[in-house]
Amino acid sequence: MKIKSAAFIFTFCLMAVAFFAQPATAELGNGSTDHDTLQVGKITSLGDRQLSVTTEFEQNAKKYSFTLHRDAYVNVHEGGAFKKFAELKVGDLVAVYGWNIDGKYVARRIMTLDANHYLLKRLAQDAKDKVYYKHER
Amino acid sequence: MNIFALVFAAALLAFSSLPAEAKKVILSEKDKRDWHVIADRDSDSPLRDYAILYDAGGTDGAVGVIGIPSMRTYRHIKCGTDMHNFPFSGSNAGNNNGTPDGKYFYVSDKGADTVVEVNIQTGWAERIFALPKPFGIHHSAAMAPNGQYLFATGELTGKVLKLRLRDGATTVLDVPPAPSAPDYPDTSKDGKYLFSGNYYHSAVMVFSQDPFKLIKEIPVGKNPHGTNASPTGRMVTVCDKLSATLSIIDVDKLRVHKVIPVGAGPLHNQIDSLGKYDYISCFVSDSTSKVDLMRMQLVDEFPIHYRCGHNSIAPDDSYYVSQNKFSTGLFTPTGIIFAVNFEEQDIDETSPTYGKSVKLIPVDGEPHEGRQIFATYIQRWNTGKGEELFEKGYNLGDYHVSFDDKSRPGVGAATRPQLEPNHTADSKRTWIPRDDGKPGVTKEGDVYVIRVKAFSYGYVPRFIHVPKGAKVRIIMTNIDKAAGLTKNPDVTMGFTAAGYYGPRTMLFAPRGMSIVGEFVADKAGEFEYYCQQFCGPLHLEMRGTFFVDPPNGKASLAVGDYDDVSKQETMLAPQEHGWIVGTNKLMNTLHEGSEPVI
Repeated sequence: MKIKSAAFIFTFCLMAVAFFAQPATAELGNGSTDHDTLQVGKITSLGDRQLSVTTEFEQNAKKYSFTLHRDAYVNVHEGGAFKKFAELKVGDLVAVYGWNIDGKYVARRIMTLDANHYLLKRLAQDAKDKVYYKHER
Repeated sequence: MNIFALVFAAALLAFSSLPAEAKKVILSEKDKRDWHVIADRDSDSPLRDYAILYDAGGTDGAVGVIGIPSMRTYRHIKCGTDMHNFPFSGSNAGNNNGTPDGKYFYVSDKGADTVVEVNIQTGWAERIFALPKPFGIHHSAAMAPNGQYLFATGELTGKVLKLRLRDGATTVLDVPPAPSAPDYPDTSKDGKYLFSGNYYHSAVMVFSQDPFKLIKEIPVGKNPHGTNASPTGRMVTVCDKLSATLSIIDVDKLRVHKVIPVGAGPLHNQIDSLGKYDYISCFVSDSTSKVDLMRMQLVDEFPIHYRCGHNSIAPDDSYYVSQNKFSTGLFTPTGIIFAVNFEEQDIDETSPTYGKSVKLIPVDGEPHEGRQIFATYIQRWNTGKGEELFEKGYNLGDYHVSFDDKSRPGVGAATRPQLEPNHTADSKRTWIPRDDGKPGVTKEGDVYVIRVKAFSYGYVPRFIHVPKGAKVRIIMTNIDKAAGLTKNPDVTMGFTAAGYYGPRTMLFAPRGMSIVGEFVADKAGEFEYYCQQFCGPLHLEMRGTFFVDPPNGKASLAVGDYDDVSKQETMLAPQEHGWIVGTNKLMNTLHEGSEPVI
């Protein structure tokens, strides 16, 4: 009887350890980072070939500052028209493609976005439903 | 009764008056002056296309130029023997369409074993990168972030290379253990890695871009094919062809994070420009699977008419083009080779035709990858400003694009080559009734007669030896049946010995007939032959080896006239040889560690 109880307790403990010690599934992303090669958000400041963007559709908005790459350009997501950097305005919704090198976040392309585009509507609706951009659900 | 009719009519009226959310286009004043703009682009037949799809046309040796969304074929650009895959010049930032500068695209020729540079503005080939031999290219889809290097995979020889676009200098890596078939590549957007599936290893190989070296292999599902880096830089999506899954690789940890069932026979995938959705072509289930990369799950599936393969996505993410491999029963017969077809699907979730195929067109050749670019990148050359545009360049917003690239030897702003590389060369081809001779090599007089039987998915014989200088007659017979997985009566088999003998072979055999190819095997070496006409999910694995043995020896990847054949001189006329760059002379001449990719 004692042996059976001990075996039961041992088995239970083993299962409990196995259950609790199982590593939680790591999520692929917990919001944006400064190593991402794409940021989506609104322009919060503009300077001499520099801009800052506050991210949208994430659980917690983050701010990133970019310096324009020498070959950087601005175009429109729908239709592909090119714009000059000076035509950008604070509050514009943009996608910024680039990379972080030696601590400097460089923008290679800025794509202006329309909040009525289906992808943006989807990201907005998902965020309301707590499916955040760059967070794995 | 009348009340019901009244209620029904009222309901119908209410439904029809709901605001449509179809895409709207605001025409600029400049557009309004343009006589051929008559309708918004969500019209059924817009006369002006906002984007251009370039498709590597495979066996027709050309790149097709197709308007989006009209799906009208505008022209074909002659590039060589068997065109497969390309990136645009500029940067790889973004999704598969990258961040183009509108100057060039670089298309791989699996048949001739080259990369061809095409000037988008002139619409003609300008240079041929003669890859070092033996190599055996399949795809060259991977552009470095700074646009100065390409990465190409040598599927047929188990090698991978890095190519400097300025002059064609290369670094070549062997990726053992054999058999090794580096397949579809893509580069991470931060300049760190090159990813490439390897179907013999059922793994994705990871290389660093600079210095160029193999870091590790990541086991994925069976026979990985389409491999794409997400624009966010976080993940790489891999189509596990025989596992019916999509493997998601975590780029930070360099390991598989999740495996998502997507449908049978996933071949290629396209991620939208925000990294939200991934669209996967599933050959066997005849569908486009849509995966939400935030939810990490399959969220939709669109039926495709006929056996999808490659694909492309519009730069505004509104349309997806499924580049289908068979057209059984679709079109009027036009000869031995049937047209394949492209099927355009509306992927705008707010559109009334979301998920529907809105256009389907016949397409020449056997197209491989397609990439799309906004039409705004292509300048108007018919306005008398051509000279000015080449000498002074053009602006993309603030960014000035110049063709006065002094670092490119032999090419300046005042000189633009207009090349038409050979599609076939130095050979003779004839059709004959089905030949039922025993497979193998026999000698008839002074001719080496090689009887090859082709079937899904292989050849008999698998290895062919002839001596250097032999007169060769290949008689290839398709012994396939209209059954099995593809259930297509129009399966045609191909035979191309890649590299020097590529333009000399390019044989097609439909069922019931044989094709005869004759040429002189005047260069020694080991040359992989493959099926260049898509015949089913394992078409890519349908391979054999053609050995041209030197006197007193056996050909191998180490023994052959490789320096000679690397010159690729038969691809262009002698007076155009100055436009061929690279070759074995520049093999392994890159100074790895000081070839910045970003």
